[in-house]
Amino acid sequence: MNGVIRSFLRYLVRRKSLSVLQLLGIAFGVAAAVGMTLASRSALQSLGSAVDFLRGGTTHTIARPAGPMEEGLLARVMGDPAVKYFAPVIDRKVRLEGGEQVRMLGVDPFLDKDVRTLTARIAASTRNNTQEEAFSSFLFDPGAVLIDENVARSLNLSPGSTFNTMQGPLRVVHIFPNPSGEPLIIIDIGHAQEFFRMRGYVDRADLVVTDEDAFRGRWATGFTIESNTQKAQTLSALLGAFRLNLQALSLFALFVGVFLIYNTAMFAVVSRRRDAGILLAIGASRGQVTAAFLVEVLLLGVAGGALGGVLGYLLSGFLVKIVGNTISTLYFFLKPSVLPWSFWNLAGGVFLGCAASIVGALPSLLELRRVQPVEVLRGRIASRGASRRMKTIALSGLVCLAAALTLFGLSFLNVYIGFAGAFAFLLGASLFAGFVIILLVPVMKRLFSRAMGLAGKIAIGNIRENLGRTSVAVAAFMITLSMSIGLGSMIDSFRQSLLWWMNSQLRGELYVSTKADVNVPEEFYEELKRMSGIGGIDVFRNVPITFRGKPASITSIDASVLQRYDRFGWLEGGDENWEPVKQGGAIVSESFSRRFNVKRGDRITIETASGPADLSVGAVFYDYASEHGVIMMDRSTYLKLFGDRTINSLGIFIDEGNPDRAKIIDQVKLRARALGLPFATREEFHKRILDIFDNTFAVTRSMRVLAIIVAFFGIAGALMTLFVERQKEFGIYRALGFSTGDVARMTIAESLGLGLVSFLMSTVVGTVFAVILIKVINLQSFNWTIFYHFTARPYLVTALTTLTASLAACAYPLWSVIRKYPVMQIREE
Amino acid sequence: MGPSIIRTYDLWKQYEDEGRGGMALRGIDLEITKGQIIALFGKSGSGKTTLLNLIAGLDGPTKGRIEIDGEDLAVLGERGRTLLRRKKLGFVFQFFNLLPTLTALENVLLSLELAGAADRRPALEALALVGLSGKEGRFPHELSGGEQQRVAIARALVKSPPIILADEPTGNLDSVTGTQVLDLLVRRCREAGATLMMVSHALNTCEYADRILRMSDGRIFEESSCEGLAP
Repeated sequence: MNGVIRSFLRYLVRRKSLSVLQLLGIAFGVAAAVGMTLASRSALQSLGSAVDFLRGGTTHTIARPAGPMEEGLLARVMGDPAVKYFAPVIDRKVRLEGGEQVRMLGVDPFLDKDVRTLTARIAASTRNNTQEEAFSSFLFDPGAVLIDENVARSLNLSPGSTFNTMQGPLRVVHIFPNPSGEPLIIIDIGHAQEFFRMRGYVDRADLVVTDEDAFRGRWATGFTIESNTQKAQTLSALLGAFRLNLQALSLFALFVGVFLIYNTAMFAVVSRRRDAGILLAIGASRGQVTAAFLVEVLLLGVAGGALGGVLGYLLSGFLVKIVGNTISTLYFFLKPSVLPWSFWNLAGGVFLGCAASIVGALPSLLELRRVQPVEVLRGRIASRGASRRMKTIALSGLVCLAAALTLFGLSFLNVYIGFAGAFAFLLGASLFAGFVIILLVPVMKRLFSRAMGLAGKIAIGNIRENLGRTSVAVAAFMITLSMSIGLGSMIDSFRQSLLWWMNSQLRGELYVSTKADVNVPEEFYEELKRMSGIGGIDVFRNVPITFRGKPASITSIDASVLQRYDRFGWLEGGDENWEPVKQGGAIVSESFSRRFNVKRGDRITIETASGPADLSVGAVFYDYASEHGVIMMDRSTYLKLFGDRTINSLGIFIDEGNPDRAKIIDQVKLRARALGLPFATREEFHKRILDIFDNTFAVTRSMRVLAIIVAFFGIAGALMTLFVERQKEFGIYRALGFSTGDVARMTIAESLGLGLVSFLMSTVVGTVFAVILIKVINLQSFNWTIFYHFTARPYLVTALTTLTASLAACAYPLWSVIRKYPVMQIREE
Repeated sequence: MGPSIIRTYDLWKQYEDEGRGGMALRGIDLEITKGQIIALFGKSGSGKTTLLNLIAGLDGPTKGRIEIDGEDLAVLGERGRTLLRRKKLGFVFQFFNLLPTLTALENVLLSLELAGAADRRPALEALALVGLSGKEGRFPHELSGGEQQRVAIARALVKSPPIILADEPTGNLDSVTGTQVLDLLVRRCREAGATLMMVSHALNTCEYADRILRMSDGRIFEESSCEGLAP
């Protein structure tokens, strides 16, 4: 190793504590990105294996566009020359006694064994084990089921056990392994028809098709045919916006990481500037000095990246659970398992660490290349010209902000352009850090001087004098705090918008079941209709569809009831929008309108049981139920088009002022309970939705915490550097009679001062960031409008975070001060 | 008189960010021959260090020309000036300017490395010649001021450069140590036949000098003795 490189690398050993802080900063930045990427990837991989597990050898599925398919059609499907094998399926949910829902598949074991190894194995194993009795029980006993090992374990069941569900008792005849992780119960299809009261119907038929085009040609009208590839694409598309958000979060974490590296590199340059001057004076070339610095930065990048790779892998174990829960709550059951450890985690971490280090260190590297030995040897430091430089940097910040505005203007082309704009905005805002410090110092000096005396005044002066270092630390901390305020305000605004939406659209007194729960028997609806005192019953049915190749859904409601009792939020017009719905038209949600560019007055064509149907769009309404878009129509229209009488849930409305309100609700509850139907009052239903909402942002909250940890290392590193760099200054303080306590107070004041500037900046930057997230990113990702609502909570939480992080960050430097200050002397080297 | 090794022609230097018009040098014409020991006096801000920096090629003149060993610094370019510092110039600073992360030996060895001859033996010999045998493995902060300056002298001399530029080499040392260091520096330069240009405030430097120069307000004057050169 040559002397130039050695002279730089020795700093890493000489300033161990600082090196450790820098290393951890990089490691946590990389860990956030690696952890989130791995969690996202394991979710997708688990999705693939779950789909593969249930798909077996089938190639296609055929079903009605909405609702179940008539059993009588199966003979025709079976007789189709392109169908090699087929297996009818009933795919529903059963509600266990404890309230937990489990997917229940009704299959024909004789037909199913040709297309799915799962049922074939069950059939084979029972026979091989001469459990003829169990197999015949499965075929002939109405309550006999096969359950997967997860359900068996959680309910403590074994073959022969019986367990209760809301729809009736079931008896276990066999337990099978289930790699998908999704709790699964399998029942004979004939018994399933009885169990779910759908005699004469199945949900779909899984097929092995030999000639797809010919088959599609023959079944084009009134059926939905989906290949396995399409199915995987549909599921993947369902997760599109969610994945995008995960990616964005990991990118933001990496962004903070890069900032921290920039921070780190900047500190390194400050301390290497003098050495670079000496080296240049004694004959080293600029290339040698740059290379030495690059080696130092890369070494930190490699070590921090490797550590980050390992930490990221460990973090993914935690994140994967949160991601799995969120996907299961919002989209479909998914239990992602942590991916096995791979060398690539380490390699990826090192790559990210190095790439981020190079990007982060680039400005510092360029600065080092420009070092003038004469200036350095004359004792000049960069901060002497810092005021002017900070103004120039702020001007380049303005350029970044202008670029951000341009990108926002173009974000309608692609959401990634919106993300680029958000990054440009954060970068631009960060470039104002030094300028803001200069502006705030006079006020802060007065404030800290009054609060902490001379120590406080000197501390703020130090922040101003060491602008080169402090401005970068403030920028890094400010960015994380802004992200915290921005994400917090966005979530709160979203929550407020959701509350408004629930209070305007979900105004029923009681809701019987939900779309994610068991279906409501039509007889129950008829029974309630006959009850006196009920003002109206909204019959809700929601079916997923594919519209123009993308997932969406159709919802049927009772337009007259909703017109009377609900207060829908319309993009245009008022409750008169219900009139065309009552006459066979449709309304669409805002996300549908934006995704498919469908506006009020347009016509849309949807596939129905009797072929394509043309519907007029009467209005567009605000909706947060699905980002994929909803076509809403009256139940009468829906029945005419699809013939599907399934009811997902009922909304019970009672006229205001009805004195028997409580009694009526109790009556409905009683009758629902008798049928094993779940129900929830409006308040309970709203609370459930809010709980789901809060769970959805669990990942975001985790990333916010991680970003703050990363920033904490930034502030701690900055303070430590200030301490290490100013040994001579501390010697002077000591000579002047400053006590250890004075200098300790000074250190605390510096940390709080950095925190205060960062926080003040973040209140402005964070608020703008929230507006960007709401008006650009969310609108592009989810196609729905969130209304900005000011709430104090994100600001208070961030203020508390700032205080905690600032105090925690100065703990180590403070300890160093207490330990070293009493023996410090004025010396040159 | 021997051949000239340093020549400056109508040298001007203006600093943009300095007050008083920022003119640090005002038309310096100077010729220094090989092996001369020069003492350069002058008050603070008179332009002594600026002249040294220009001669070393660390900074460029606003106007004028500098020739080192017959080579025009402006023509050499950045790369050429770097090579010049490696091979033909040795620097001794007031504040020693040793690299704090390298040991005494490594600091000296670095000079050889840059000159393309990384050999420990001459580095050890150079340290022995300045009286630092046994302290090769010490870091700068483990050495006294005088010892640090000896390391700096060893670092400047080890590659046997024809020119040594010393910017107040005793300015940061007590008088006894300062005299020792000055004595050592001049002796080694004379032994090696090197040209030594010393910027100084210490009048005893005159005793060692072949030629005395004084700078005032960016101009240079030849002096025959130290009389009248108030520190």
